[in-house]
Amino acid sequence: MSVDTAVETKTVFGAEVPQPPQHGAAGGVMRGLNFGTGLIGGIGLAAVAGWVTAILTPSSASNASFAPMEPTYVYLAVLLGWVVGFMLGMGAFVGPLRWVVGRDITHADAEYMAGKDLGRKRYWKYTTDHKVVGIQYLVVTLFILGFAGLLAMLIRTELGMTWTSLFTPSFYNSMIGTHGIAMIIGMIVVISGPLGNFIVPMMIGARDMAYPRLNALSVWLLVAAVPMLVSSMFMGGIQDGWSVYQPLASQAPVGMLGYQMTIIIFAISTAIASVNLMTTILTMRAKGMTWSRTPIFVYGIFAASVMGLYAFPFFQYAQILGLTDRVFSTSFFDPLNGGSVWLYENLFWLLGHPEVYVILIPSMAVALELMPVFLRKPLFSFNFAVAGIVGVVALSGLVWAHHMYMTGWAPAANYPFMLSTEMISIPVGFLVLVAIGTFWRGTAWTRLPLMAVYAVIFNKMIGGVTGVYLSDVPADQYFHGSMFVVAHFHFMLMGAGLFGAMAGIAFFFPKMTGRILDERVGSIGLWTAFIGFQITFISMFVAGLQGQPRRVLDFDDQFNLSNWISTIGAYIIGIGMLIFLSAIITSWRSGVIASSNPWGSKSLEWQTETPVPLENFPVLPVVTERPYNYGVPDPYEAELESIDEDLTEKAGTK
Amino acid sequence: MSTSTLPVSPTTGEPITTIARRARLGLWLLIVADVAGTIALVISYSYLWSLNVNGGWAPPGATLTANQTNSTLPTTPSTATFAVEWPFWAILFVVVVATALMWFGYRSARSGNHAGLMVGAGLSFLVTVAALIFQWIQMSTFPFDAGDGAYASAVLLLCASNIFHLFLLLFIGMGIFMRARKGLIDKTNWYQAQLLSYYMTWVCIAFLLGAILTTFMVESPNTDPAIFGTFKQQ
Amino acid sequence: MSADTLIPEEPEAPTNRPPSMERVRSWLQRPYARKILILTVVIGFLLLPLAWLLLAAMNQTGAPASEIMKDIEQTVFVFTLVSIPITAFVFAVLVYSLIGWRQISGDEPPMQDSPAIRTNTIGVILWTVASSLLAMFLVVWGLVELAQITANSYGSISADEQPGQKSSEIINVTGQQWVWTFEYPEHNGLTSDILYLPLDRPVYFNVTSKDVIHNFWAVELGVKIDANPGAITQTGVTANKLGTFNVRCAELCGMHHAFMQTQIQVLEQDAFDSWVRESGGKKTS
Ligand SMILES: [Cu+2]
Repeated sequence: MSVDTAVETKTVFGAEVPQPPQHGAAGGVMRGLNFGTGLIGGIGLAAVAGWVTAILTPSSASNASFAPMEPTYVYLAVLLGWVVGFMLGMGAFVGPLRWVVGRDITHADAEYMAGKDLGRKRYWKYTTDHKVVGIQYLVVTLFILGFAGLLAMLIRTELGMTWTSLFTPSFYNSMIGTHGIAMIIGMIVVISGPLGNFIVPMMIGARDMAYPRLNALSVWLLVAAVPMLVSSMFMGGIQDGWSVYQPLASQAPVGMLGYQMTIIIFAISTAIASVNLMTTILTMRAKGMTWSRTPIFVYGIFAASVMGLYAFPFFQYAQILGLTDRVFSTSFFDPLNGGSVWLYENLFWLLGHPEVYVILIPSMAVALELMPVFLRKPLFSFNFAVAGIVGVVALSGLVWAHHMYMTGWAPAANYPFMLSTEMISIPVGFLVLVAIGTFWRGTAWTRLPLMAVYAVIFNKMIGGVTGVYLSDVPADQYFHGSMFVVAHFHFMLMGAGLFGAMAGIAFFFPKMTGRILDERVGSIGLWTAFIGFQITFISMFVAGLQGQPRRVLDFDDQFNLSNWISTIGAYIIGIGMLIFLSAIITSWRSGVIASSNPWGSKSLEWQTETPVPLENFPVLPVVTERPYNYGVPDPYEAELESIDEDLTEKAGTK
Repeated sequence: MSTSTLPVSPTTGEPITTIARRARLGLWLLIVADVAGTIALVISYSYLWSLNVNGGWAPPGATLTANQTNSTLPTTPSTATFAVEWPFWAILFVVVVATALMWFGYRSARSGNHAGLMVGAGLSFLVTVAALIFQWIQMSTFPFDAGDGAYASAVLLLCASNIFHLFLLLFIGMGIFMRARKGLIDKTNWYQAQLLSYYMTWVCIAFLLGAILTTFMVESPNTDPAIFGTFKQQ
Repeated sequence: MSADTLIPEEPEAPTNRPPSMERVRSWLQRPYARKILILTVVIGFLLLPLAWLLLAAMNQTGAPASEIMKDIEQTVFVFTLVSIPITAFVFAVLVYSLIGWRQISGDEPPMQDSPAIRTNTIGVILWTVASSLLAMFLVVWGLVELAQITANSYGSISADEQPGQKSSEIINVTGQQWVWTFEYPEHNGLTSDILYLPLDRPVYFNVTSKDVIHNFWAVELGVKIDANPGAITQTGVTANKLGTFNVRCAELCGMHHAFMQTQIQVLEQDAFDSWVRESGGKKTS
C-alpha cells in the first residue's frame, strides 16, 4: 500500500484531493455509451434471448390448461433481454463492475459522467447530474402521460358512442388497464421525478444528490420500463384494469407479462429514487437549514419517498407472484390449488393506497411551496403543514383495506378500516387550512402557477368530500365499483394531482429551462382543461349515482346522457392539455429568457444563476432564517394593540 | 494509507466519514424496502396457510375430488408432500457463519489487521458460495414441483428469495474481497465492509423467517374449506 | 382575529365585555370578515340542493327498495349536509381571494408584500376542533349505520326465530363468466337466471364464483358483495318494494363484464310461491 508515493491530486472545491489512478481518458468506457448504444444493446439482447428461448423451448410445453407456453417464455426472455441489454448499453453496470475490481472513479471520471462540457449530448447519456436527470424525468413523464391521455380519449370516445361499438371488448379492456397503470406511473413520478430531482438538491443548498449514479439508474430504469408497458398492448394487452386482479389476470394473454415486468422494474426504480431523495434530504441540507427552516416542498417529496419506499415492494411482490403463477405454474392466486384472490388484493392495496398519497402529497406540497411567493406572505402555520404531511404518512399504511370493504375477506375489519380512513381527513384538512390561511388577506399576484393552485384546492375539496362517502362502508356498498369511484379518484389524482403538477412545472419552468412558460397560452390550456375536467367528471359522478358500474364498454340507456356529456368534457380536457403542452414546447424552444429569479422568491434554488452551473452553488449557502420570509407587519395588529391599550387605559383611569 | 490525515472522497472532496454516514443511511433505507418485500412473502405464506383455499394448501398425496374438477379451469391432480425442515435451518446456519466471518473481517479492518480482513472477507465469500450451492440442491430436491399447490409455491418462492439474496451477497462480497486485496479497505476506510456486515445480518434474519415459517406452519389449521365453485365444505 | 400572545394580563378590566369579545367584535368589523361569512352562507345555500339531487339520481330506477338502501341514502344525505358548510367556507375564501383582497398581474413581482400572518391561534384551534368533530361524527355515524346494515343483512337469519316473523329464504348466488345463477336450495335446488325475491321476507345470500372475481350488486336493494372463487361470502336483504330491479356485476371480470347483468323481480308471497311451483320447486313452508 505504498500508492501514496505516486498519488495525484486534484483541486476539488478549493481543496487538494488525492485521486485514484486514472485509466485512459476521463469517463473511460462511458465515453462511447449513450441512448443509441442502449437501444442497440436492448434490442439486440432481446432478439437473441427471444430466439434462443424459442429454440430451447420444446414445442410440447404447455401449462395446466393445455395452452402452449412458448409465447410466454419467449416474451419473458425478450423483456428480460431488453432490460439487461438496455442498461448494459447505457453503461449502468460500469460503475458496479469498476467498484468490484477496485478501479475507483476519479474526479475527472465523475465530471465526465456529470455531463461536463458535453452540451446537449448529456441528456442522452447515463448522466449523473441531478439537473439532467430532472429534465430526463420530465420528458419521460410527459411521454407516459401523453400516451395514457390518448388512451383516455379513445375510452371516452367508445363510451360516448352509445349507439355502436368502436372497439372489441378485449381491446377496450386492454385500453382501460393500460390507461390506468400508465397514468398511475406517470402521476407517481410527475413531481418527485422532474421537480424532486432538479429542484430539491438546489432547494436544500446541495451540489447534487447523495448518490448521483443511482439517480441516473432510477431514471433509465423508468425509461426501460416504458417500452415494456407499451409492448404489452401488442401482446394481447392488459385486459384487467390497472389493478389486474387475480385470477382474471392469469386468464389474460401474454401481454400481462409486460405489465408484471414493468411493475417489477418500476418498483426497483422507485425504491432507488426514494432512498436517494431521502438520504439527500436527511444528510445534505445546507448549513443552518434546520427542520423548521426546510421548505415544505422538501417535506412533501420526503413524505412521498417514505411511502414509496415501504409500500412499493408489496406491489412488486404481488406481480412477482403473479409472474411465477403464469410462467412456473405456481398457485399463489389460483383458487383451485390453494391460492387466494384476497392475498392478491391485500398485497396490491398495501401499495395501492399509500400510492394515492405518493401522488397527492407532492402536489399539495408544491402548491403550498409556491403560494407564499405569489401572495407575498409567509406560509400560514408551517407547523400545521408539517403535521398534516406527517399525519398522512403515519396513517397511509393503515387504510389499504377500505378498497376491500365489499370483498367479504374480513367483514369485521371494515370497522377499524373505516375508522382509520375517516381519521385521515384530519391531516388532509390541515393542508387545506394552510392553503386557505395563506390565501387569507393576501394580495394575489395572479400568474399562471398561482391560478393553478386555485384549481387544485377547488378539485381537492370535491375529491375530498366525495371520498368521505367512499370511506363510509354503508355508502360504499352502493358506490364501490361504480363510476362514482372513477370520478372521485380522477378528482384526486388528476384534479388535485395533475393540476398541482402543472402548477409546479409552470413555477419551476424558468429555473429548469431558462425561459418563462408562455402565460397566455398556458392559461388558456389550463382553464380549458379545468372546465372540461368539471364537465367530464361531474357528469361521471351522476352516472355513478345512477348505478353505472365502472370498466364497462356498454350500458343501459339511462346512462347515455351523462356519458355523452362526459365524453364532450373529455375532448375539452384533451384540447386544453394539448394547448398546455404546446405552451411547454414552444416556450422551451423560444420563450422569453428568464432572469435567475423571475418570481422574486427567497428560496435557495432561485438564488443561483440560470442556467444553473454544474455544481449549483460556487460556495455552499448558509441558511439563517425561516422560509417564506415575505410580508409586512399586519396593520390590523396595530389596531388590535390600540384596542388593548384603550382597555388598559380605561382600567387605569377608573 | 499510512498518512494520518483522514481520507477524503476523490470525487466530492468530502471526508470519508461523511460519505460513510450517508452510505449507512442509504443502506438502512434499502433494507427497509427489502424488509417490506420479505414481509410480503411472509404474508403470502401465512395467509395461504391459514385459508387452505379449496383444500389446496398441500394435500399430501391427495387427488382432487370430482367436485373440484367440475370447473371451467382444468387442473392436474396434486401429489405434494411437505418439505424436510432441517435443510432450512442448516442453510441458515451456513449463512450465519458467513456473516460472522464478515463481521470478523470488518472488525479486523477497523483495528488495522489487514490479514484478518482478508481471511474474514475471503472465507465469508467461500461460505456464501457454499450456502448458495446448498440452497440450490435443496430447491432442486423438494418432493414437489411448483405446480403442486400453494404450499409448494410459497416454499419455493421463499427459497428463490434466499437465492436472490445470496447472489447479491456474492457480488458484494467479491467486491469487498478484491478491494481489500488492493488495499482500498483499511484502518481509515472500512465503511464498505461494515455495510456488507450489516446487510448480511439482515439477510440472516430473512433466512430465519423462512425457516420459522416452514417449520412451524405446515399443516393448515383450516380443515374444512369450501369446495371451489360450490356451497359445500370439504 | 390575532395572535393570543397580545392578550394583556388584565384581571380587573372593568368593561362589561371581556377583551377577547372585544377582539372578535373588532374582527367582525373588518370589511372582509362579514363579506366572507355572507359569501359562505350564499355558497352553502347554492350547494344545498345537492343533498336532494344526489338522492334523485340514485332513485331513478326505483330505489330504495329495501331498508338497507334507505340507510345508504340517509347516509349520503347526511354526509352531503355536513360537508356543505366547510366546502362553502373554503370556496368562499377562494372566491374572495380573487375578487375581494387586492390582486395584481404583470411581469414583475409585486412591490408591496402582504401582511405577514404566520399563524393564528384562534383560527387554527377552531379549524382543528371543527374538523375533528366532523371526522368523529362521520366515524360514529358510519359505525352505527354499518352495525345496522349488518344486522339487516347477516342478521336476517336469526330474525326468523322471533315470533311473527316469516321465515327467511336462502339463495345461493353463483357468478360465472358472464352469467349469474340463483339457486334456491330450500326448493329442490331450483335455479334461475333471474333473481326472484319474496316481498318483505328476509333473504340470505351465499355468494361464490366459478372462475374469476365478480361482484354481486343488487342496485336498488343496496346489496353488494364480491363473488370470489374459492370462497363463500354472505350477505342478505329484505326487499320491501314490488317491482323489477337490476343486478349488475361490479367487478371487472373479463370480456363481457358489461353484459353480466340480470333482473330482480320482487313478488308478493303468493306470486313468489306460484313461481316456485311452476318452475318445479317445492312450495315454501
Ligand atoms: Cu362479473
